[in-house]
Amino acid sequence: MIKLKLVENNSKEILKETLKVLRRGGMVVFPTDTVYGLLVDATDKKAVDKLIGFKNRPAGKPVSVFVSGLDMMKKLALLSKNQEKILEEILPGPYTVILKSKHLVDPAIESEKGTLGLRLPKNKNVETLIKSFAKPVTATSANLSSQAPHYSVETMLSTLSGKKQQSVDLIVDAGVLPRNKPSTVIDFTQPEVKVLRQGDVNFFNSKAYLSTSPKKTKDIAKKIFEEQSGYSDKPLVFIIEGELGVGKTVFIKGIGERLGINNIISPTFVIYYEYGNFYHFDLYQIEEKEEFKHLGIGKFLKPGNTLCFEWGEKTGDIYDLIKSKAKIIYVKMKYINEGKREIVINF
Amino acid sequence: MKILAIDTSADETSVAVVDGRRVLSNAIYSQILIHKNWGGIYPSLAKRAHEEKIDYVIEEAVKKFSIDEIDAIAVTKGPGLAVALEVGIKKAKELAKKFNKKLISVNHLEGHIYSPFVQNSQGNPDRQFTFPYLALVISGGHTEFAIFKNHLQYEVIGSTLDDAAGEALDKAAKLLGLGYPGGPVLERLAEQVDNGDFYHFPRPMLKSNDLNFSFSGLKTSFFYFLKNHPEVTGNIAKLASSFQEAVLETVMRKTEKAINQTGINRLVIGGGVTANRRLRLLSRRLAKKYHGSVLFPPYKYLTGDNAAMIGVVGYYKAVKNLYIKEIYDLDRAPRLDLSSLDF
Repeated sequence: MIKLKLVENNSKEILKETLKVLRRGGMVVFPTDTVYGLLVDATDKKAVDKLIGFKNRPAGKPVSVFVSGLDMMKKLALLSKNQEKILEEILPGPYTVILKSKHLVDPAIESEKGTLGLRLPKNKNVETLIKSFAKPVTATSANLSSQAPHYSVETMLSTLSGKKQQSVDLIVDAGVLPRNKPSTVIDFTQPEVKVLRQGDVNFFNSKAYLSTSPKKTKDIAKKIFEEQSGYSDKPLVFIIEGELGVGKTVFIKGIGERLGINNIISPTFVIYYEYGNFYHFDLYQIEEKEEFKHLGIGKFLKPGNTLCFEWGEKTGDIYDLIKSKAKIIYVKMKYINEGKREIVINF
Repeated sequence: MKILAIDTSADETSVAVVDGRRVLSNAIYSQILIHKNWGGIYPSLAKRAHEEKIDYVIEEAVKKFSIDEIDAIAVTKGPGLAVALEVGIKKAKELAKKFNKKLISVNHLEGHIYSPFVQNSQGNPDRQFTFPYLALVISGGHTEFAIFKNHLQYEVIGSTLDDAAGEALDKAAKLLGLGYPGGPVLERLAEQVDNGDFYHFPRPMLKSNDLNFSFSGLKTSFFYFLKNHPEVTGNIAKLASSFQEAVLETVMRKTEKAINQTGINRLVIGGGVTANRRLRLLSRRLAKKYHGSVLFPPYKYLTGDNAAMIGVVGYYKAVKNLYIKEIYDLDRAPRLDLSSLDF
């Protein structure tokens, strides 16, 4: 068993090593967007058998797979146009999607009904890995069947016998992962879409809007703010993701206007501006998590306050803190064309 | 009259000692580290860790003076990053109390407006004030027009509604893979292609009659232009130049509008973007067209954030006896604007 530590600047080498192990049918413990995962080539029968043996998994209980994109998903499973539309909206994300398999993976990881669980995670390393591997990889959590998933390599190793430890070929250690729940499992093979396991993200509390102008974007923001405020005595935190220029500041200006604040400008240069009990953050310039320490975000997480974060992707290091104290509303903004933006809200 | 000045409005920690308009010392944390080549003795602290830097920067700025020589302490009250401003203000109050000095609060934007009049320790350059001026502050955090009517008197006549001009330049540079802050790199690349305009990006807000700016639309169109035209991404210099021209031409056309609307042809321009040679050239041309004049910060360090300019404003406030009456009342004002000057 080899153990490698994943740090900020060595992901390239680590991915190379991981690919090598996967190609020769090896088993890898790897950090994912949710918990530590157990990765093997999902099309390699020997590798899959080894995995099932390791997990003490009863035969017939399926194992989901990581894919690199909707294209690979379509290759492995049957997907209707309608399903594809829904998936485009929610993926990549912390979901396992159950679809009818085309039986290109090892049968041992499909269910007895011939369905397959697929994961398109929001995790750069996993994404790059599967892209380079060009084949699906098992996405089961790195714990024995019926035990809790692991957020650190140490706790995982402590539950394994020496023999089991030796059967793992490579461990990629990224330290303690944020305590995200395992993925939300959604079954698309029934006439009605069904949530089989509730993870962190509530599939049904998701709304998609189409904006055709900055004014519309502001109106959508106002509406969402109105709907969400008052329901909880926790502070409201909007985590907003989207490419440069997609309209994140416009969205926040909408919330500001609803609160009577009309002089909001981009806080990129100073990280955040405060307007009474409204805080507008822009994490664009944040390079190291050390910087969060000096921003004192914890003390703003008080009832009655509203915090908006642009470049919400970068809230990773303070995500646990925010989650423990606030009601979070995720806003994903996507460019469709010059005059159109899609805004997906999860809460 | 000697004033100790502190500025911690964004990511620089800066302390200066000025005597009137003359700067006797100006210490900026990032600059000290570079100049002294500390070689790791002083750790490279997180950008906004002002609290861990301020004592050291003060020590560096005042080492040639005894505290008795200092007549008053000036500190930036806003606009800026709240937690950063707090550090400077707390320190200024502490010193004022400990050494029984009077305290002066300064608007960071006033500092930039006065920066063209800041002198070196020898009193150079000796620029006289001929009010009124049309003042433009153009930096990574601000883009503002004001009529500089007389000492400490301003009327804001326009500002950005979203991104600052310097921020637009920095973000465009980042989109071109040039790192942050990328304004200066953009400028060098543009010079390689003679500041040509090859792609004609939109000039935002020129149709509107007011003097406000908006650069977020330009940023968006640049982003999607790059996305939709992968074939041009090799022409980095041409892209850099075209973008810079779009930003600077917008600023110049608005400045021209401001000259026409106010009838003032004497310009003072401060802020980080005044380090840009193209901006200086275009502004001089514009001033000439209107038989006016233009003043920029005379030394490079005065273009960026620095405490020297805060000290000089502090001096003019001291002359008018504009001291803080009760030092405990002084609080940071992160979105302070020039028209709401309070003491």
